[in-house]
Amino acid sequence: MVKNLIGVVVVTFLAAAPSLYAHHSFAAEYDGTKPVKVTGTVTRVEWANPHIWFYVEGKDEITGRTAVWGFSAAPPGMLARRGITKDVLKIGDTIQVEGFLAKDGSANASGGRVTFADGRQVFTASTEDSAPK
Amino acid sequence: MLKPFVSILVIPVVLVCAAPPGSARAQAPAAPKVPRAADGKPNFTGVWAGPGFAHTVGPRDTDTPRVVAYDPKNFAPVKPGGESFLKRKLSGNTRADDPTAFCLPNGLTRQILSPYAQQWIQSSGHMVILYEYMHFFRAIPIGAPNRPHDKDVEPTWMGDSIGWWDGDTFVVDTVGLKEWMFDASLDLGGNGEARWHSDALHFTERLRFADPVTVSYTVTVDDPKIFTAPWSQEFGMKLHPTWKIFEFVCEENNRCQGGQCADSVGQKK
Repeated sequence: MVKNLIGVVVVTFLAAAPSLYAHHSFAAEYDGTKPVKVTGTVTRVEWANPHIWFYVEGKDEITGRTAVWGFSAAPPGMLARRGITKDVLKIGDTIQVEGFLAKDGSANASGGRVTFADGRQVFTASTEDSAPK
Repeated sequence: MLKPFVSILVIPVVLVCAAPPGSARAQAPAAPKVPRAADGKPNFTGVWAGPGFAHTVGPRDTDTPRVVAYDPKNFAPVKPGGESFLKRKLSGNTRADDPTAFCLPNGLTRQILSPYAQQWIQSSGHMVILYEYMHFFRAIPIGAPNRPHDKDVEPTWMGDSIGWWDGDTFVVDTVGLKEWMFDASLDLGGNGEARWHSDALHFTERLRFADPVTVSYTVTVDDPKIFTAPWSQEFGMKLHPTWKIFEFVCEENNRCQGGQCADSVGQKK
């Protein structure tokens, strides 16, 4: 129970980050009219400023496009302040990520909501964000 | 946000007023026991969660990063022509729409609202503020109240700040600010508009302890190219003795800069 709660808190913070804690405005780099919903396997995690990035190889069920998708999240320091380390996302994990496409249309997005294989689904964005609908 | 702080301040006053004559001295609450420096001034030294956090007080006290902008409800009326200066529609050119996407600075008015920690280091002659976000710093000389700024100040992102004590309130007075983004309103309004201030902005910050770990942080915006009069807004800061500021190098991995994403190593075919 406690473990699950910790997991929910961690994932909430991790994934809420892309637009909420971006070093720039969400609207400057992402298209709030182009949602993505990708299910796949975590292939890489970049734990660096100004945002961590994690990569998921899988299919966007909205467009049917398959790719290695990049999702941005909070900066490492902000995560460290909450006791979250890069071990939170493990390569090989199966997750579903909902977010919004980068303006250049590449397979990169601002993450918004993460669902794990065990069914945990966390709505992560605040009312100020361009949150997944 | 500062309602609890107001209650803290108001209740003692009510108690004093309600006390019978002659007993006020015995009933008067002690002034808040705020941290004091060797010279007797309130001591702001420490790591703070500034206005860019939602402060929740209680057993699960936490400071949650959040997007904060100045509240239009506090704005003074806008001058004729000032609206176009203040509100700028997204143009599609990210460098113009939000230069911070290219790791350019927030500028003072947006910086103080950033949802990152800040460390204050106080001496009798200077107040030094180290902002985690972008590694910005301010070294504010403390001197006589309302003294003049240096002449011919070149406009910069953080401006020319001077400080003084007004009793237990620390005042920072800033001019010489470059015309720049006023706040992060792009992410709050949803109407594709960003707020900017002019290079005529005179920005004043007033800080005083409400209790040993809470500071009332009131800013006054006097931008005569935009507003008909100065206006103010109150924010808060919470002391976090267990926090430290972290490294933040914006250029380290600023993928999708300006909305143009370079493939990561893991994405290259």
